[in-house]
Amino acid sequence: MPVVDVQPDELRRLTGHEEKSDEEFKDDLFALGLEFEGVTEDGAFQLEFGPDRLDRLSVEGVARSLRYQYGDARGVTVPKTNDPDWTIVVDESVPEERPYVTGAVVRGVDLDEAALDSLIQLQEKLHATMGRKRAKGAIGIHDLTMLKGDVLSEQSTGNAITYTGIEPDGDTFVALDSNEELTPAEVLEQHDTGRKYADLVSEYERYPAIYDEIGLFSFPPVINGRRTEVTTDSRELFVELTGTDQWTIDRMCNIICYALAARGATIEEVEVEYEGGTVVRPDFEVETKRVSHDRIETVLGVDLEMDEVIDLFERSGLDADAELGDETVYEVSIPPYRVDVLHPLDLVDDVGRAYGFNELEPRYPDVGTVGQRHERSRLEDAARTALVGLGFEDLLNFHMISEEENYERMDVEPGSGSVLGGGEPTSITEPYSEDYTMLRTWVLPSLTMVLENNTHRAYPQDLAEIGHVAHRDDDENTRVSEARHVAAVLARHDATYEDAKARLATLCNDFGVELETPATEHPSFIPGRTASVVIDGEEVGIVGELHPKVIVEHDLELPVAAFEFDLAALQ
Amino acid sequence: MRLPESQVAVLNAASATDERTIAQLAEATDLKPETVTGAVFDLRDDGLVTVTETVEEDVELTDEGVEYADDGLPEIRLYRAAMDVGGGDAVQMGQVIGASSLGGPQVDIALSNFARKGYGHIDSGELVPDADANPDADEEAAALSALVAGETVDTDVLDQLESRNLVVRHERTIRAVTLTDEGVTALMEGVEAAETVDRLTPEMLTSGEWEDVEFTEYNVEADAPEVRGGKKHILRQTADRVKDVLVGMGFSEMEGPHADADFWINDCLFMPQDHPARTHWDRFALDVPPMEDIPEDLINRVRSSHLNGVGDDGDGYHSPWSEDFARAVALRGHTTSLSMRYLSGHEVGELEPPQRYFSVEKVYRNDTLDPTHLLEFYQIEGWVMAEDLSVRDLMGTFEEFYSHFGITDIQFKPHYNPYTEPSFELFGRHPETNELIEIGNSGMFREEVLRPLGVECDVMAWGLALERLLMLMYGFDDIRDVHGTLCDLDLLRETEVLR
Repeated sequence: MPVVDVQPDELRRLTGHEEKSDEEFKDDLFALGLEFEGVTEDGAFQLEFGPDRLDRLSVEGVARSLRYQYGDARGVTVPKTNDPDWTIVVDESVPEERPYVTGAVVRGVDLDEAALDSLIQLQEKLHATMGRKRAKGAIGIHDLTMLKGDVLSEQSTGNAITYTGIEPDGDTFVALDSNEELTPAEVLEQHDTGRKYADLVSEYERYPAIYDEIGLFSFPPVINGRRTEVTTDSRELFVELTGTDQWTIDRMCNIICYALAARGATIEEVEVEYEGGTVVRPDFEVETKRVSHDRIETVLGVDLEMDEVIDLFERSGLDADAELGDETVYEVSIPPYRVDVLHPLDLVDDVGRAYGFNELEPRYPDVGTVGQRHERSRLEDAARTALVGLGFEDLLNFHMISEEENYERMDVEPGSGSVLGGGEPTSITEPYSEDYTMLRTWVLPSLTMVLENNTHRAYPQDLAEIGHVAHRDDDENTRVSEARHVAAVLARHDATYEDAKARLATLCNDFGVELETPATEHPSFIPGRTASVVIDGEEVGIVGELHPKVIVEHDLELPVAAFEFDLAALQ
Repeated sequence: MRLPESQVAVLNAASATDERTIAQLAEATDLKPETVTGAVFDLRDDGLVTVTETVEEDVELTDEGVEYADDGLPEIRLYRAAMDVGGGDAVQMGQVIGASSLGGPQVDIALSNFARKGYGHIDSGELVPDADANPDADEEAAALSALVAGETVDTDVLDQLESRNLVVRHERTIRAVTLTDEGVTALMEGVEAAETVDRLTPEMLTSGEWEDVEFTEYNVEADAPEVRGGKKHILRQTADRVKDVLVGMGFSEMEGPHADADFWINDCLFMPQDHPARTHWDRFALDVPPMEDIPEDLINRVRSSHLNGVGDDGDGYHSPWSEDFARAVALRGHTTSLSMRYLSGHEVGELEPPQRYFSVEKVYRNDTLDPTHLLEFYQIEGWVMAEDLSVRDLMGTFEEFYSHFGITDIQFKPHYNPYTEPSFELFGRHPETNELIEIGNSGMFREEVLRPLGVECDVMAWGLALERLLMLMYGFDDIRDVHGTLCDLDLLRETEVLR
């Protein structure tokens, strides 16, 4: 979940509530769904929240939400915008993988250190969330005074920059935090930031590039040029965003613009000139969705007056117009910084938050159902109870295991399907740890590992586990054949085949099934002391004395008798 | 007073004025000395007699010692033979040995002691006796004779004889018994004999003999040897408890595959395909072919839900949606995949409201393994399907559930999940520490989830890690001690059972 650092002093200033203590803020923020996680070295609150309200990824957005909560602000507000002076021309050679661009000009910004830090944090957090680590959308913020616009035409007074695509070594520029003229390809190899984001564009035929009249000044989504770097002295900004989805970058742009507007800046539109037509950005259009009064009452479980509902909408930063009829329906206006409203129900949630969910009186649902355990779960439970009655310590091991433990150390060949445990592995594509690369095909490897890790504990060690096993089987719809196995080991100085069989026989007797144990061979067991577990005529497992090489492999110094079979045989 | 027969006999044979030893009492009572000893101790414990103990040493001749006492010590026999043969001059060894009639190991014994005790010396196969030596004054020989006669012997000589294995010394505790005042009183008031037994035998039961006996008292406070039985794993016990509670609340258990298509795990849940949790970092993708059999109409409805949303005013995600990705098979990251299968009608047929379902089963997360996080853990998952459910119903259900685990004062923190709205993180007071702790995640399934599945009513759901509940309730610090192959058997053996 995203974490945003917010200076409580900034919060006081931006909300206008100088009197609020840190503790009061923490409670108010918790009510908004922002959880206090701690403070940073320089005293900022670290606030964690669900990745829906991405407009709260900066102190400006958090302050706005608090102002609504306090009732200082109501309804939808849209920053005033000035007419466009600048144009972003999208050249036909723009990389087809990253065709979209948007932007805004912001004038009259007053960036002190705190404001600049907040802007940089907002940019980074938006990259990490909506921007999908810059793959879907990347933001570049430039000092406008360092840009020299192309003259579009003789009639126009406006300026233009161009979003285009160039050969990887097609031009050079000096990137941020660098002193060298580098080509984009060289940036990917030599610059720290370039290396970090190289994967985003390295497969592209042409690299994204933004030009003004002077030349190349930005290499999105990787890095900006040094020429247009924003500092606390910057008073006018050019914000550009490139990405793979227009809506996404437009909303990211809106969130940036709202944050800057909250600090008194003026937003100026830009024109984006695509081959197919020109659009004006930022897109501050207010969308509407319709939600019925009845639905709100049903979801919250309370009766509400219409005025009350409209008030709650406005306190959420929304506007609502009631349409009276057979049923009351609200047409709700949604501000353009909201990225989380996909359905009218999301608006009901806002009403609930404004009402205060914790104000609602819990009630037990007035519907009757009859509960029961699943048949498989009952069987497993009965078998486990029987094993415990036989003196086994019930164990619980991981379903994931390494091939070495599952096969090699048990002396079993992968893909020797006729042997218990020899099924094809269900392998994890990109294992995180070499200890967990596949699902276990049988349970005994886990139990012998437990024996191996507990040689310092008192014997006898009689252990059992009823657990999940799986092997690859392309005939299954999931491509994986899953089962539950009953497995047990008796590690004691005088353990014999007979000890294992005796317990197995008792278990079978408990479940009223017929056990036969014809002689067989299994690589993990001593020849001549190994039998198939045949239950009601079907071969379902193995019983015997573990082979000394398996015992020694697991650093054990005493005999181990064991059995394992498919739980379903006890059904 | 009734006492066991042996104790009565001993009591009668003992005196208040004279000390009687065990041996004397045994003779007087005609009981075995060990029986008398046992009776004496029991009487002492009852305060009827006092016992004084002295330690005495018994010296016993070994077979070899007896032989030398009769025949003389080998070195003296050798000396006398040498004097007889040579009259004090050096004599040939063989000649002397023949004359002494010593044989076997006695020769070596004689030779080694001959020189040691100054009877002469041995020089190049010749024996030179010391004519001045006096075998009649030999201390060891004298001591042997004295021991035969039952006389005491000087300790130094006794040590010497013991080192030659001619005697064995035993320490012996002599117990002397005297009647106490209580003992005298008891005797005067009359003591009757009662039979006692150690063990109740089958014969006693069948013969009826048990009616006439008294049972020896045990020290019932003494430690008994440890007996180890098996028990259910503590996490299973916790799971059972959760299942009991949920079944009691009307929930039925779900069951389904651990390896499943992303379609069931994530797409049905309205998780956008470019959601961070769906990247390879968090997910255990399996190296198997994609799942083929997914109902085509369901796929189309889910795709539409992602791309266009649900309803007139619904928006989809501004993210690409690929059917190939949906069909890819992975280990489930939550058991909500089961909920999707059940709600879609593909597990137990179309469900009509009301319904309650749950599962307590394993899920897999590609997370860092540490004391509180496992790569695989148990998720408690539950949902309620009904017409017109409200947030209040959801809250009431959770209050009921958590109250069974001692967690009360539940707080509902508004939260975001891609698949529920409204959503809540649940917080409750820890029963021991009173700390506010996160105890689950919940919400009402979105219409974008339900409508493609064909569900037209409301469904509320929640989830929680079983391990978290266990750790909260029973205070384990490191979940790896109980779950997995690194588990500590002693910890499992000593963990209290759940009740």
